Amino acid sequence: MSVHVLVSSTLRSYVPGYDPCNGLDVAVETHTPASLASQLGIPLNEIKFVMLNGHYQPLDTPLQDGDRLAIFPAVGGG
Amino acid sequence: MSSFVSGSHIQEYASQHKISFVEAMCALLDDGQWPLRFARNEKIVSADTLKALLKLKIFIAGAGGLGGEFAAIMARTGAGYMRICDDDRFEESNLNRQRFCTELTIGQPKVAASYTALKEIASYLEVDPHDIRLDPGNLPDLLRNMDLVVDCLDSLDSKRMLAKAAQDANLPYLHGSVLHQEGFAFLDVPGRHRLHMLYPATEHATGVGSILSHTVAGTAALMSALLVQWLSTRQANAPIIHGDWSVPDLNRFEV
Repeated sequence: MSVHVLVSSTLRSYVPGYDPCNGLDVAVETHTPASLASQLGIPLNEIKFVMLNGHYQPLDTPLQDGDRLAIFPAVGGG
Repeated sequence: MSSFVSGSHIQEYASQHKISFVEAMCALLDDGQWPLRFARNEKIVSADTLKALLKLKIFIAGAGGLGGEFAAIMARTGAGYMRICDDDRFEESNLNRQRFCTELTIGQPKVAASYTALKEIASYLEVDPHDIRLDPGNLPDLLRNMDLVVDCLDSLDSKRMLAKAAQDANLPYLHGSVLHQEGFAFLDVPGRHRLHMLYPATEHATGVGSILSHTVAGTAALMSALLVQWLSTRQANAPIIHGDWSVPDLNRFEV
């Protein structure tokens, strides 16, 4: 199955060639946001939350084909 | 059909009735007379929303990037009172993004420069500057008699402290945060605590690093829009707004 992934700000440095305009379509080998992030090489300790199809969800939520996943680090500047 | 009244007319009305400039604007709005300075806000913002904003006591934590931009926007939208807290001084590296940092204000306390700049936009605006570092000990007193807490602080730990103080004081909490080319904005009414949901553990992340002016200004604009929407509708279900100025794009997230 395939998941559309948006990677935020500082986390993009872990995904070479990431295009913020288009995101990534990832053929998922594993089945949660946490395992997908690991597949992309993003350290789990730098992920603070994810949004799945526009909703806050835990990192161990099962993924479905066609899901839209956004992955965020801590955003704390002012 | 509204008519428009100039600042000098409002001042004359205030003197005649022995009331403040803000009270005079509210009285004239009740009579269908809009302050000329807000003529271009009419038909977008209602008279009732403008009066609510004029009377709202806004507490702004942080007078740097988000705080300066948010305060400037709200001064032009019709805010009547702001208490602004920050213990920093402007420095040269603030020039790229902080609204009230100019070559002339470098070295000045941020709250002092903000006071001067805001008074130049709206002389009637009551600005209560506090050159102070916020902590759990001083926040309860500083939040007394406020109606809204606005988070423009620059670290997640300080944001969590402020959100907790707002929660304890039973006040709405308007959040803004930025990192690189992205920003978040949301407004929590008492009883909602989305910052603590997103960041349940102590978190030392700050926004120190690369941040562009349009990311800060855009995020402050999102915060301002959420506030005006809330004053207009009093609906407490607005989503979290995420702006990505690298695309650029806006996303709405439900938490």
